[in-house]
Amino acid sequence: MILLLSAVVAVLFGAGAFLVLKTDLLRVVVGMVLISHAANLTLMASGLTRGKAPIYPLPNGEVSDPLVQAMTLTALVIGFGVTALLLGIAYRVYETHFAVDFDRLAEEEARREAELEQEEVSV
Amino acid sequence: MSLPARVSAALAALAFVLTLAGWWSGSPGIDLPWAPSLGLRLSFELDGLGVLYSLLATGIGFAVVLYSGAYVPLHLEHQQRPHRDEVRFFGLLLLFMVSMVGLATARDLILLFVFWDLTAIASYFLIGYDRQEAEARTAALMALVVTGVTAVLLLIGTLVLYAEYGTFSIPELVASVEPGGTVTLAATLMALAGLAKCAQVPFHFWLPRAMAAPSPVSAYLHAAAMVAAGVFLLGRIYPFLETSELLLDGLVVVGFASMFVGGIVALTRDRLKQLLAYSTVSQYGYVVVLYGLGDTVGVVGASFYVIAHALAKSALFLTAGAVAEATGERRLSELGGLRRAMPALALGSGLAAAGLAALPLTIGFFKDELFFQAGVERSPGIAVLTILGAALTFAYIGRFWIGVFLGPTRAPAHRVSALLTGPVVALGGLVLVGGLLPEPFVALANAAAEASLGAAASVDVFYHLDARAENLMALSAYAIGAAALAAPRVWRAAAETCARLGERLGPERVYVATIRSLNETSDRIHGIEVRDLRTRIAAILVPGGLLVLLGLLATPTAGAYTVGSLDRGDTALVLVLATAALAAIATTLPRQHLTLLLVAASVGFSLAVVYAFLGGPDVALVAVLVETTLTLLFIGVFALMPRASLRRLAALRTPPTRRWRDPLVGAAAALAAFLVVWGALSRPSVGESVAEEHVRLTPDAHAKDVVTAILTDFRGLDTLGEITVVAIAFFGIATLLRRGRLS
Repeated sequence: MILLLSAVVAVLFGAGAFLVLKTDLLRVVVGMVLISHAANLTLMASGLTRGKAPIYPLPNGEVSDPLVQAMTLTALVIGFGVTALLLGIAYRVYETHFAVDFDRLAEEEARREAELEQEEVSV
Repeated sequence: MSLPARVSAALAALAFVLTLAGWWSGSPGIDLPWAPSLGLRLSFELDGLGVLYSLLATGIGFAVVLYSGAYVPLHLEHQQRPHRDEVRFFGLLLLFMVSMVGLATARDLILLFVFWDLTAIASYFLIGYDRQEAEARTAALMALVVTGVTAVLLLIGTLVLYAEYGTFSIPELVASVEPGGTVTLAATLMALAGLAKCAQVPFHFWLPRAMAAPSPVSAYLHAAAMVAAGVFLLGRIYPFLETSELLLDGLVVVGFASMFVGGIVALTRDRLKQLLAYSTVSQYGYVVVLYGLGDTVGVVGASFYVIAHALAKSALFLTAGAVAEATGERRLSELGGLRRAMPALALGSGLAAAGLAALPLTIGFFKDELFFQAGVERSPGIAVLTILGAALTFAYIGRFWIGVFLGPTRAPAHRVSALLTGPVVALGGLVLVGGLLPEPFVALANAAAEASLGAAASVDVFYHLDARAENLMALSAYAIGAAALAAPRVWRAAAETCARLGERLGPERVYVATIRSLNETSDRIHGIEVRDLRTRIAAILVPGGLLVLLGLLATPTAGAYTVGSLDRGDTALVLVLATAALAAIATTLPRQHLTLLLVAASVGFSLAVVYAFLGGPDVALVAVLVETTLTLLFIGVFALMPRASLRRLAALRTPPTRRWRDPLVGAAAALAAFLVVWGALSRPSVGESVAEEHVRLTPDAHAKDVVTAILTDFRGLDTLGEITVVAIAFFGIATLLRRGRLS
């Protein structure tokens, strides 16, 4: 089980890393989502016990570690906030530059910098 | 005087009195545990050395604060700065004082190091007090870099000693050190830190630069703090230094070199404070020589020298400041004849100058007597060098005082506040008192030497009216010095050449070149790092990944990985996990954004099912909720963007250079994650988990679901943080979408 869970975490992380390297900002955001999935799954998998849901009345036998569940919940919600913010940023970038791919953005940035330097020289 | 000046003066006076009282009553000091597991203690004690430097720091500090009460408002007025900047000045001066007293009384090497750096920080801000001037900023930075970098040597020396003897406590170390390579190494490193702090060759160049500071700061820096801290350290670590003859001889060489370099350059300087700064280099050269010559006479002489120098030099610096305030001139060539306009100042600084030139009836006579005595005891060659050094001092100090106060009046002086002349007269008076009644000062020096030597020291000084060696040497020093003063033409050209040679080839060039090349390297790395967003992120992630890799390599792997067990009931879980993994791989394939989104969402939903199978219904529910909302959010963004743009994005081809790189990096990342996570999951912590307690206490929290009880009760603060993050993200998004307007 441990091996299997870590393999799945690795696949999630690898796919996320692959997407983060793309030039398309929206794919980068999806990549970040996958990476946070990997983190969440790691958290869940690191429970010391596995069993039934830890809800009263307690079932016979072992219950799952509630602590990691609480932490995963927190991480999930924070991941959600971060992803939403990333999306907001991506959209804002699109609005100002009409592009969300890195190469175009880099060109744009270089152009602006050159403009600024020109202004400084003329001042 | 303004309120901050009054408060500072009162505090300085109080500290002075308390130090005296503590010395008188033989206060046992303070000894509190600081970090017991590291063997660190907050341990302070007023031993002789501590008393000497604490008295200097608070006593000279008191005089300097009084003087600053009049000086700083004028200074700020010249600079057209607001009066409230005064608070900053006095606050920093007090910090300086506190760090100096802490340094002097610390009985623990780490504590000593902390205060050592604190003096550097205080001096950095004080030297750069006129922060609008580039010169002051450069000077402050230079002082900080030179003394700060060498301070690391002090720390390394400390750690070397700790590694060998297992303690930071100075008395324990003194009791246990034995001559040998380790101690010599540690003592050399520490001595280098001390020599840099007291501006000895080849570290001397920062001190004349530091003249950019306001005059009272210079006075304090040179006489009682910062620079004095350097020789204080030599006194404190003297037990380590004396284990190696070679090290002591090295000190003699460095001391004489500083004495002559400082003295010769001082003869050529035109700006008053520059002259005095080089004089300080030369004067602390004497002290370093005295420590190097060692023995009772040398060590007592060194401590006594510090007292005499502190009184005289602070008075002379305050004189330079008062003269500059009165006439607006700072150069020797523009000044002259001020004895008529400022007789009190002329008297006070005349006494101080006489003290430095070692004339009889001043405390300075005895400082040179001890110096000559230590030289004679060593060898005739050293004795000749001591005479030459003293003659140089006589010449440049004479040049200073005569140039300012005698001769024709060159610059008219207007009246200055009594606070500007009072401290000078008082300090000059002390120089005279020390010449007539040297006993208390000698007692202080003996006590300080006792702390350095670890044995009682009882050197006494008297006037001997006979033809003993010391007297003859003093006379010949006066004669040579007076001859040099009378015939400047003889040496002027040679001294100028020496000074210019030093500027051309001196260590300051090395410093400038080092700083410049460091700056260029940093710029180059920065240039690579910030080329675009990707390189910026890579600059953080690549080193991070490398660190993790190093951690992996350093961790023993034997038995670190376990496969874990699978039972029949897990079939469903395995299937869902496989689905999640396949979906994750599938996210790398689609071109269309909507397809990509749906595949990514299916990863999230399958993970929700995984969570459910792992016994976490709450997590599964929240995961579903989050995944749904996120998917909708993505769709919303896609809907906002024109279809043509999305289509163009989808049609983007990966450039051929990246076609292989991206999957490779992804695979490497996956492999690293696999190794790390597998290793972490294979070895769950063996200790007791707090989870059991949580489960037990849940009914007391009036809850049935343990996870909710943890979230809302046991770890409620975490949840508060989480809510805050979401709220901040919300505000961020709202601002972004409304183009920076929230309302």
